[in-house]
Amino acid sequence: MSSPSSSIGDSGKLVGTVAGPGDGPNEFFIVTPDEQAVKTGEFITYSVTVESEPQDVIARVTNREQARGLPETFMADPNVAPETVAGTLGVPTEDIDLYRLEATVIGFYDTQMQTFANPRQLPQPGTRLRTAPDKMLEAVLPNLGVDEADARTTRGEVDLSSVDVTQRDGLAHMGWLLNRETGAVDVHVPIDEFAATHLAILASTGSGKSYTAGVLMEEMMMPDVRASLLVFDPHGEYDTLAEMRGEETFRDDSGYQPEVEYFDPDNLQIRISELSIGDVMSILDNPSDRMQERLDGGWRAMQQRESRTWGIDDLLAEMYQQYGEDDSSVGALEWRLRRSIQRNDLFTTDVNVPLEELVAPGRCTVLQMDTLSRRDQQMIATVLLRRLYQARLAAVRGRGDDPNFDGEIIDFPLFSLFEEGHRFAPATGEAPSLSIMRTITSEGRKFGFGLGIISQRPSKIDQDVLSQCGTQVTMKIQNPTDQDAIKNSVEAAGEDVLRELPGLTPGQAVVSGDSMNTPVLIQVRRRHTQHGADSIPATQEWRTAHQQRRDQPSRSESADMGGGESTGEQNLLGGE
Amino acid sequence: MTNTSQTNQSDTQTDHITDCLAIGSIVSSNSHMDYTVEIFNETDREQAPGPADCGFGQPVLIQKTVQDTEYVIMGVIYDTHLVDPDQGRSGPRLAQGDQKQFTPGYVEERTKLAGVALLGTAVVTADGTIENPSHQMPRWTLDVEDIVERCPDGVTRAFHTGENGGILIAYMERLLDLAGSLGAEVMLALLDRLRGSFPADEHQRVLDVIEKDVRWQSSVDRGVMR
Repeated sequence: MSSPSSSIGDSGKLVGTVAGPGDGPNEFFIVTPDEQAVKTGEFITYSVTVESEPQDVIARVTNREQARGLPETFMADPNVAPETVAGTLGVPTEDIDLYRLEATVIGFYDTQMQTFANPRQLPQPGTRLRTAPDKMLEAVLPNLGVDEADARTTRGEVDLSSVDVTQRDGLAHMGWLLNRETGAVDVHVPIDEFAATHLAILASTGSGKSYTAGVLMEEMMMPDVRASLLVFDPHGEYDTLAEMRGEETFRDDSGYQPEVEYFDPDNLQIRISELSIGDVMSILDNPSDRMQERLDGGWRAMQQRESRTWGIDDLLAEMYQQYGEDDSSVGALEWRLRRSIQRNDLFTTDVNVPLEELVAPGRCTVLQMDTLSRRDQQMIATVLLRRLYQARLAAVRGRGDDPNFDGEIIDFPLFSLFEEGHRFAPATGEAPSLSIMRTITSEGRKFGFGLGIISQRPSKIDQDVLSQCGTQVTMKIQNPTDQDAIKNSVEAAGEDVLRELPGLTPGQAVVSGDSMNTPVLIQVRRRHTQHGADSIPATQEWRTAHQQRRDQPSRSESADMGGGESTGEQNLLGGE
Repeated sequence: MTNTSQTNQSDTQTDHITDCLAIGSIVSSNSHMDYTVEIFNETDREQAPGPADCGFGQPVLIQKTVQDTEYVIMGVIYDTHLVDPDQGRSGPRLAQGDQKQFTPGYVEERTKLAGVALLGTAVVTADGTIENPSHQMPRWTLDVEDIVERCPDGVTRAFHTGENGGILIAYMERLLDLAGSLGAEVMLALLDRLRGSFPADEHQRVLDVIEKDVRWQSSVDRGVMR
């Protein structure tokens, strides 16, 4: 057991008195005279003795209702203040309101277990409650692993409020507790935790999920983290991250500054030999069983070859050789393969971006895929993830020491963010990327490969993938189907978290899961870089465009200004 | 409201407590707050109160001097009873139908009794008006044969005016409780009077809210509303 933290007893504002046990085994009721002091979601604390040690137990206020106040009939006429009616009837109006709060015990922070322990003991009726001190909450709410040594003061006492979380490395400052004043209780999320056990950012459109992702990415590029980030950006929303390169905040004395690399479809091509037979099947139009059998045979033969730069022509030649020149299934495959792969610029025979160019520590790589079709985006994700995963697998298994190993190796952990995550791991419908995403979310922890799924439609994300995301940042979600999806697949999402979701405003989020000791409601901090995903201001752009058209002389006139010979085209446009 | 005489008519508007119409005297009490008043008839007083002077919901006052300070104790008629000692007597009568003048006794003993609930007190000023109205329970008891007078509207108004000029009806809960089944009715009768005394819009709105509350509460009690 941890030692008593004696200094907390008198700090924090006195807010109320325990009235008695509540409905559930961990719930109790508090009576408070003050309307403003305690909001729903506030953390309060009381002292109990656990194994003869006094412990500060933290509880969360989950509900509040008025226990005493003026009757509703006094409010019958909006023009007459209820206090006026009360004054007329001689009813006292000063300090008569009483509120009854319901609170749920979270537990006391056990410095040995480094998380909350439930004392299984409700406070006695009459126990006085205080708001939990800001500094203590900063130390114990996120899963920072604060232990007894961290909490020991210079005088030798154990005081959780004495822990300075800003001195610890590898934390992402996401924002501050919503119930307290701005910046009073900063929430620092341990990056190690969500980089290993995956992250989900779930929010409806316009509630700030890309913004929150931007905050996390900024934190991961800080000098004390220097992550290797790979962002799949189907909308081209993250072009402002490049500002990190110049920002003072991201630099340190050693000369570090983050790299931000953008890859567009031109340098995102996929070598055909990297595709698996399953990938090829998924992009062909309804291949028959016989075609699949033929393709399987041909593909296997090609993969046996030394060369990795073969193309569709080589594959077809191989198949014709195996099954005969007049095989009708190969003939049908030829048409399909040429249409789906050979004529698609995405696939190539030789170019292959080396992984070491793509990812590196202290580098944020953004794959801008906004011009690609959904299927091509999925295909890029599939092939890249598979290569990266195998490279991490090889590194962890020590293949680099094997002189015969000719595959790729990445000897540092990776974190990959997926904007529009439901596109890459959809709950319904085929997606070649689903299988590798399931593999990484279930196995990636062991190989240092973390995924971050960002989506506005949790119900459309594959449940296996979503349920493996250990840390969740959930923002405003009103759609009941999506709320159900969160309830069903997110373990840490208790009823009290779900109840908050419809009422959140943009920029407010619930952070829950492995990175937190208990779910908290936060206000996301401001980004250091600009936000790039704003909607286009349509009316303003229409006005400007219209004005420009009126101001500009017509195209034929401007052509004539040159005084040269007019062409037939200009004649057609109304010139001379 | 129709009054029996011209003098009474002018009295109803005054805010002075002098020359109020005496309507009866106290004969007994049911509690510290609840007194029974025998209404004067023609044999008691030259100017006996008419039906409108001692009707249901009529504010009344009793003048009382306590330790050299003159007070009025305010009350309201919340109930009435008729008493006829002859009732049930079927024996021989002294009088014949055409010999009224020989009729002694009980015919004249028929009386009207009124229940008066106390509302509060106020101090009488030198010029006969009242000040410092208090809607607390009066601490002193009244005496048998104390004269109960009809309270003029001006005095009623003064009694119901709070410190900041607002309406004060702080006795309401006590009155509703004491008057029992007639509580809502007597309260509504009082509210109706106050409407006349406080014509300002803001006061009317407050009275609206209170009246609705009283009506709603009594309707709920009677089970016609929920």
